[in-house]
Amino acid sequence: MKRYDCMKALAARLDNELVILSLGASVDEWYNAAPHMRTASLFQQQLGCVTPEAFGLAVGLPHRRIVSLDTDGGMMFNLGILATVGNEQPKNLFIVVWDNEMYQSIGGPPTHTASGRVDIAAIARGAGIDEAHTARTIEEFDAHCAAGLAIDAPYLVVAKVAGTVQPDIKRKHSDGREDKYIFVRHVEASEGITIMGPSEHN
Amino acid sequence: MQQSAVDAVLRGLKKAGVTVACYLPDSLFKPLYPALDADPDIRTIRVTNEGEGAAICGGVFLSGKRAVLVMENSGLRASVEPLARMGLGAGIPVVMLMSYRGELGENNWWAIPHGITMEPVLDALRIPYRVVREEDEIERGITDAYDWSYASYYHSAVALGGSVVR
Repeated sequence: MKRYDCMKALAARLDNELVILSLGASVDEWYNAAPHMRTASLFQQQLGCVTPEAFGLAVGLPHRRIVSLDTDGGMMFNLGILATVGNEQPKNLFIVVWDNEMYQSIGGPPTHTASGRVDIAAIARGAGIDEAHTARTIEEFDAHCAAGLAIDAPYLVVAKVAGTVQPDIKRKHSDGREDKYIFVRHVEASEGITIMGPSEHN
Repeated sequence: MQQSAVDAVLRGLKKAGVTVACYLPDSLFKPLYPALDADPDIRTIRVTNEGEGAAICGGVFLSGKRAVLVMENSGLRASVEPLARMGLGAGIPVVMLMSYRGELGENNWWAIPHGITMEPVLDALRIPYRVVREEDEIERGITDAYDWSYASYYHSAVALGGSVVR
């Protein structure tokens, strides 16, 4: 199963959601797989921060579905967030873990899931996230997306994907700071709120 | 920590517009945590480590709500990675309220590292901070931190020390 194909399936189901996603090759893949979600997606370069940030966003915007596109390396970096999500039970947080069993962006050394013994979905269930599953085919993944985007409970799907990267795709040019402004302005416009407002004096 | 100091913290947070508090409890702020939990205007989120709390606060910022990370100053060390990434890499601010463990007057050997490292770590991250040791300066210290962080879009910190917490 290719991550890019999974992204295309997920993207087809998204419209008004907000997305926080992890570092590495998945950034450019998501940029291409979900062009209609570019301003609604925060491209972050933070191992271990993606799902916590998505959860914080879900707390602040409880009426809106938030999607976390995390990774095996990122989730293993901070497993505690699974326990916090398990306890807090946000109704609007859908977590995808792209599990390619490697640190792809630095050339592919194995993560802990490569051993075959470490099961992130099982860890999530043990942490109190009842709806935590593993998908190995596009059909399974798409069905979990449909369920996870509709349910009033936290939902996690581990997508077991190949270590390949979609070739010949457009590179995202912006850095983290520009990405933040683009995302915040999108949230402001779509929510009708001010997050980064004017100074007292010009 | 006296009830009057707890009340001053709550007044400052409310004046700053804070509606979400992430915390990992400590002993110096012991009465503050149940007061935060009991406050109907503030949602509390208990976290497994302070770095996770910092990242959650960053997400709350992106929603337009205001969050605070409450912790012992040792939690600053656990938060360095997400603070550096969010603050220096993206301009996503986190306002921190921490107890000043390990300053002069400390009588626990295990707390000495917290006092020695807090201010250098804040300086390394270029995070401005104010150490508040007078109860009547708590409220202003908190609102000043929010004013600064929402102008700079960078982290700031208030450390409560001295007789405020002992």
